[in-house]
Amino acid sequence: MIRESAIRIPFRYAAGGAGSRFLAALRDERRILGARCDGCRRVFAPLRSFCSSCGASPLEEIALGPGGRVEAWTARADGTVFALVRLDGADTALLHRLVGLPGEPRRGMRVRARFAAERRASILDIAGFEPEEGASA
Amino acid sequence: MSAPVHVALEMDQSWRYAAPAAMARFCAGLKERRIEALRCGGCGRRYLPPRPVCGNCHLPLADWVPVADEGRLEAWTVVHVPILDPRTGRMREAPYGMGLVRLDGADTTLNHFLAQSDPARLAIGQRVRAVWREQLAGAIDDIRHFEVLA
Amino acid sequence: MNPVAIVGTGQTRHARARDDASQAELVREAAARALEDAAIEPRDIDAVVIANMELFEGRAWPELWVGEAAFAAGKPCVKVATGGTSGTSGCIAGIHQVASGLFDIVLVVGFEKHSEGHTQTGMTLTDPYWDRAVASGAVGNFALSVSQYMAERGTTERQAAQVAVKARRNAARNPYAHLQMPALTVEEVLASKPLAHPLRMLDMCPQSDGACAIVVASGTRARKLNPRPAWVRAAATRHEQPFIGDIERRLATMRTLREAAREAYAGAGIGNPLKELDVAEIYEPVSYAELAWYEALGFCEEGQAGRLIEEGVTEMGGELPVNPSGGVLSTNPVGASGVIRVAEAALQIHGRGGERQVDGVRTALATGYGVYAWADAIVLADRP
Repeated sequence: MIRESAIRIPFRYAAGGAGSRFLAALRDERRILGARCDGCRRVFAPLRSFCSSCGASPLEEIALGPGGRVEAWTARADGTVFALVRLDGADTALLHRLVGLPGEPRRGMRVRARFAAERRASILDIAGFEPEEGASA
Repeated sequence: MSAPVHVALEMDQSWRYAAPAAMARFCAGLKERRIEALRCGGCGRRYLPPRPVCGNCHLPLADWVPVADEGRLEAWTVVHVPILDPRTGRMREAPYGMGLVRLDGADTTLNHFLAQSDPARLAIGQRVRAVWREQLAGAIDDIRHFEVLA
Repeated sequence: MNPVAIVGTGQTRHARARDDASQAELVREAAARALEDAAIEPRDIDAVVIANMELFEGRAWPELWVGEAAFAAGKPCVKVATGGTSGTSGCIAGIHQVASGLFDIVLVVGFEKHSEGHTQTGMTLTDPYWDRAVASGAVGNFALSVSQYMAERGTTERQAAQVAVKARRNAARNPYAHLQMPALTVEEVLASKPLAHPLRMLDMCPQSDGACAIVVASGTRARKLNPRPAWVRAAATRHEQPFIGDIERRLATMRTLREAAREAYAGAGIGNPLKELDVAEIYEPVSYAELAWYEALGFCEEGQAGRLIEEGVTEMGGELPVNPSGGVLSTNPVGASGVIRVAEAALQIHGRGGERQVDGVRTALATGYGVYAWADAIVLADRP
């Protein structure tokens, strides 16, 4: 005997101090913000309010990229390509999509953030990362 | 300091649950307006809903006993807060009566709706009877609610 | 069991909605304050326990998303989720980890952001074959139990309203409390919106956003970190059968809390809790529950709880002040609420209670209550 049920539940999540600043910068300044910990000498992407390694807070806000390198990628059956992109200036990678690919991506390839025309303080204000001009795919 | 940003979304959740054997038999019985409890061979407690093991004695339960669709109101309330029905996602309208009913032949009580939602007409100790739906689906809400007997 | 003490506490400002902070930032706010209070560094923490009811926020793996905010990255970290007892059970987990000798310092953090999800729905996602079809949420469930308890004990709505007033008056002396209603009257409680007969809006706890943390330390470390450590004299927990109708006259019998308290009192050598406890922080999600707990916790004989509140025995100046913090009736971020009980009890022994400090606290009780299914009791004292 099996019982099935379905329900729709509304949620409303606060991005918080660092998250709000990060998302507003995508929307208003087309900048990707990260955080530098002076103690650990590490730069985190995205911006956060405390160091993931040593716990220090607050951290210094810095702009990253918009260029970077593909550290790893995978393609879904529908063709969407996801990648871990290490932005220039960052020590950690950001999970996002690769777009405008002429062919199969490759590890280490140079990419650059393409911002969406309509931005609403969402991680999708970055439409995706596309191959940097002159980069071979 | 940026103005707080929120992410608002609606998440669709769906589930598919397999019934324990005892519950499957109980639900099959409901389709024929039959209510059965499981009696523990150790403490003698007659359990509704039926379950595999007595939580007090840790003995497996297998002794089915008949239970009436009438009983005694052991607790009651009238709820004024609408609630999202967890099976359908629709709001259930308020006010509605709720009770704990000890059906004749069971030792545990059953939480269920009451036909009556006027506090002045509800009292612990009242006799109540199940009002069954016309279409029986083999679920506990085949009983629409319990009504107070005169 | 090795000696264990609570050496530091920290909590956030609690509110209906903490829009200014993400879940992780809320956890960090409480955790950082606890570290500061205990005068320790992140590197001093050996392990972390997170308490949270993730179904309420609909976010999987809270111990992952908020762990690093609690300094857990690279360290052992587990989550406890047992309804209202999540916080007290989390504290007991941390206490056991230190008592076993496994770790010297454990940070326990509880949090909830009710504003982000749908708590009532989360609470109804119970047994799919039985409870979901006839669910009435926390308020309906409490009301059913209260109707039995009132009939059995002769408790009046006025006595319950006095509990509600005491909680909000106490909360006005607690800068972190969510509801601040220093001038609330019994009449106002009795005139507030009906939720589920006989419960009214002001009989119930609010839903809050907030976090709370405690630092649990081994005996050797505790003596160095705090001039008045809150020593754990006993900690007990009880589970119950699953369905609401399984438990006979729930509020009147309250087998879980009664048994947990009996074990904790025996462990702490307490014979007469009313006389031997100096303060209690108990988990009272509804005004009537506090009265029922007075009996289950042995503060009075059965049927005498109404008298206790009427005579002011549990008021701030009374023989046994109950919930100087304002309790769950004033602040209820569920995953944090149990941690708050333990933190507030510890705070009283540390002598750091500020305006809500009770004079000369040497022994304190903290309890947790998770629907009808779980109960915890923890006795803290100024001596091991």
